[in-house]
Amino acid sequence: MTGRSGRFALLAAWIVALVSVAAYTAHTLKISTDLRSFMPPAQSADQKLLMEQIGEGPGSRLLLLAISGDEESRLAELSRTFSSALREDPRFSQVINGEFDAGMLDETLLPYRYLLTASFDEEPLDAAVLADELQQRVEDLGSPAATLLKPILERDPTLEIMKLAEAWSPPRQPLVRDGVWFSPENEALLLAQTHAPGFDPEAQGEAIAAIRNTFDAVKSAGDTAELVISGPGYFTVMVNADTRGESEWLGRISTVGFIILLLLAYRSIAVLGLAALPIASGALAGVGAIALVFTEMHGITLAFGFTLLGVAQEYPIRLLSHRRAGETALESVRGLWPLLLTAIASACIAYLAFFASGVTGLMQLAVFTISGLLVAGFSTRYLLPRVLPIRFRDAADTPGLGAVWNWLEALPRPRWLPALLCVIAAIMLWAAPTPFWQNDLAALTPVPQDLMQREGRLRAALGAPDVRYLLIVEAEDAEGVLELSEQVAPRIEALVEQGAIAAAELPSRYLPSLETQRARQQKLPSRDALEAMLDEASAGLPFRQGLFEPFVDDVETARGLEPLTPAAFASSPIGARIDAMLVEREGHWLGLGTIIGMQDAEAFGALAAETGGAVRLLDLKGASESLVISYRERILQAFVIAIVLLVITVFVAFRDVRRAWHVLAPMTLATILVLAVLRISGFSLSLFHLVALTLAAGLGLHYALFFERTTPDAAEARRTLHATLVCVISALLVFALLAWSSLPVLRAIGLTVSLGVGFHFCLSILMARKGRSGHAG
Amino acid sequence: MYDRALVARGELEYLGPGRLGKRVDEPYTEVTTIADGQVTLQRGKRKPRQISLQRVPELEGFLRGFSALLGGDAQALQRDFELTGSGNQDRWQLRLAPSDKRLRKRIDAIVVDGSGDDANCFSIVDADDDVSIMMVEQLASAPLPEPLTQKNVESACRGGDAAK
Repeated sequence: MTGRSGRFALLAAWIVALVSVAAYTAHTLKISTDLRSFMPPAQSADQKLLMEQIGEGPGSRLLLLAISGDEESRLAELSRTFSSALREDPRFSQVINGEFDAGMLDETLLPYRYLLTASFDEEPLDAAVLADELQQRVEDLGSPAATLLKPILERDPTLEIMKLAEAWSPPRQPLVRDGVWFSPENEALLLAQTHAPGFDPEAQGEAIAAIRNTFDAVKSAGDTAELVISGPGYFTVMVNADTRGESEWLGRISTVGFIILLLLAYRSIAVLGLAALPIASGALAGVGAIALVFTEMHGITLAFGFTLLGVAQEYPIRLLSHRRAGETALESVRGLWPLLLTAIASACIAYLAFFASGVTGLMQLAVFTISGLLVAGFSTRYLLPRVLPIRFRDAADTPGLGAVWNWLEALPRPRWLPALLCVIAAIMLWAAPTPFWQNDLAALTPVPQDLMQREGRLRAALGAPDVRYLLIVEAEDAEGVLELSEQVAPRIEALVEQGAIAAAELPSRYLPSLETQRARQQKLPSRDALEAMLDEASAGLPFRQGLFEPFVDDVETARGLEPLTPAAFASSPIGARIDAMLVEREGHWLGLGTIIGMQDAEAFGALAAETGGAVRLLDLKGASESLVISYRERILQAFVIAIVLLVITVFVAFRDVRRAWHVLAPMTLATILVLAVLRISGFSLSLFHLVALTLAAGLGLHYALFFERTTPDAAEARRTLHATLVCVISALLVFALLAWSSLPVLRAIGLTVSLGVGFHFCLSILMARKGRSGHAG
Repeated sequence: MYDRALVARGELEYLGPGRLGKRVDEPYTEVTTIADGQVTLQRGKRKPRQISLQRVPELEGFLRGFSALLGGDAQALQRDFELTGSGNQDRWQLRLAPSDKRLRKRIDAIVVDGSGDDANCFSIVDADDDVSIMMVEQLASAPLPEPLTQKNVESACRGGDAAK
């Protein structure tokens, strides 16, 4: 494998291999954007329910729409035409805008009202009740309400449709102006529920495009009105596009910077191209490994993975900077290999911590980086030296490098410096203004804060129920849930009276149990009896003879109906609500009641104790926090193991406690300093900070390893400095850019790693062993 | 809806823009107050019922029109209704057809009959041709036309028999 032709053959084979792997993975790999794969795995039943609700629950399928930017009457008009157009779209299961809708029960379900209504539970329908109702209708017809009531009067003289509509109306209504929902900020509000789950970016993207197109179609050319969309589905789509967009332009900028840096450092275009080969191999190996192990790759893994793999760029840089005259590239790399191998092994071990986290996204990240680092490292060792050109510039001769080296060497290295830094870090950690850990799951999702606030504002304006609490009613089957929920309804009413909550919605609010429906059915009068009652009740009233025939027909139909089950009810809008409130899991049925205006969660304790936990409060925030806490405990454990392994690796590599200490001490102190600076700046630590700290520690290990190496050769010392400077600047190029990202997760990583690179570099110089080479050049 | 006329007596009060009061004394007692976008119905000894006008936009338009009519706010009237007038100074008729599409499904028109400066009757003609006629001022205290048919009441409103 010597000579020019051999070099080119190897190079060609390498490139062909890369291209074919690229073609294969581009063909097979699917990119997913389910944010849950970046959330901790669920352990308890409550946590599982939480994750399910986050992804597929009715709440996650809701899109909140707000129309603003015109006069109130025009906005209301738009809201009406827009929502009726959207209702035609099969992608949406429900579109509501607050319009009064007497058709809440569709035509075929109307006779069921006599099984659903509680009006005749205490006093059965008889002549006296009917007479009182009819007298009231006479009065209604003489009042302003007449126009409203007339269309339904013949069929429904006791107004059961109205009573049901009232009973079913949301416990806390949004503001209504001009007949439709408005926010206090004067936007017309709509709710659209998609059939597709909230975390299906493709389906949600289609739904959102349909919403935008429909809106553009209904508004006329001169309209100034604007549409704002919010909701989990919208965030999925937006994060998807943002992640892709941001990682693309960040990647582009760092690539350009990187090219300039390498050209400046090595003054050779050929070297620049060749130096990219190990990292390209590493990246492709990473993607390939994911395609093999997992079926799909998360978009965030892809974005992070390439970023984290930046560490691997150190390997070719070390090789290029450390080449010296009279030595082939292979000889140089053999000299460097023990240190490089220590660096690669320790970085891989650090990334094992990601794998142990058990979070799919982070596990993917671990597989990606570990296989990427190994391939990049070994290709630097075995392939790159064989394709590098023979001629090169010795990095030790870089102008100005000697001066930098002398300046660094002349810096005072007081022995008390590490101790002082420890004290300062301790004070900063102690004085930090915010809680140490970020327990809020929402802080992990890369949705910008202002959009989250807008979401919160729209939810509040829509009177959407408390997203924090769910009232769980558990039973053997759906019917059992309805029966139990009827049983506890008076208890919940009592809690409302006490002021523990403002309101609650139980499943039985929308659908009584079969038993209750049958009992009501039994009490309904027969056709003859009802006609006799009507005659008696309308004596002396001016109603036309036979006017209420449709009413008599409906009652008669109701007597023969099979009671309504959730499944049969599901086709109507109200039925869709009850459907969403009943969930089957592991052979049990759960009723998901909503709570509005929680004041005293403790008050539910007695109810849970009495029902043996069948009726209990689920604190979603509590469940999500416990999820994050248990997740963090696991990750911390993994970190402890990683640190132990790392220390062992360094000791094994050096077989010398003193030397190992000189590598590990600056690394540890720098990590503590990064932590202290983050904390004093008001950051609460999230899992992403922890991940970034590990990455920075991995980079710091490289610097410490190479600076620790004593060499009598001044030129070699300058090569080490050259390599480290190129590495530090290239790392800063990538991560300082990330620190400017608009996505909180990327920002957390970028900031932490940039700080880390700075501290690690300074400390590994300032805390390096004394007695190295004297003045250089 | 009825096969004979229902007669109710009471008092109608105009309480300023957007505010109306209506009291029925016979054959049942009822007080309706419309103020600040809320309709309050108080019947006999029952708990008062409240309806927010915002829930029922067509009703709001109707009542806005009615109150504009009583308050003499021609501009507001023209916004919500198409006006057509007929007759002369002594016997005039004003027909207000709602411009709101949804309201038109329920109500054909409000018809006001009057003579000189006074209105005699307010008739609300429903889309299904049911009519409720409110006779006011001197007509209210005059004896009702016999037999009590829609035709006779209408002619009384147009300055017919009952006024003599």
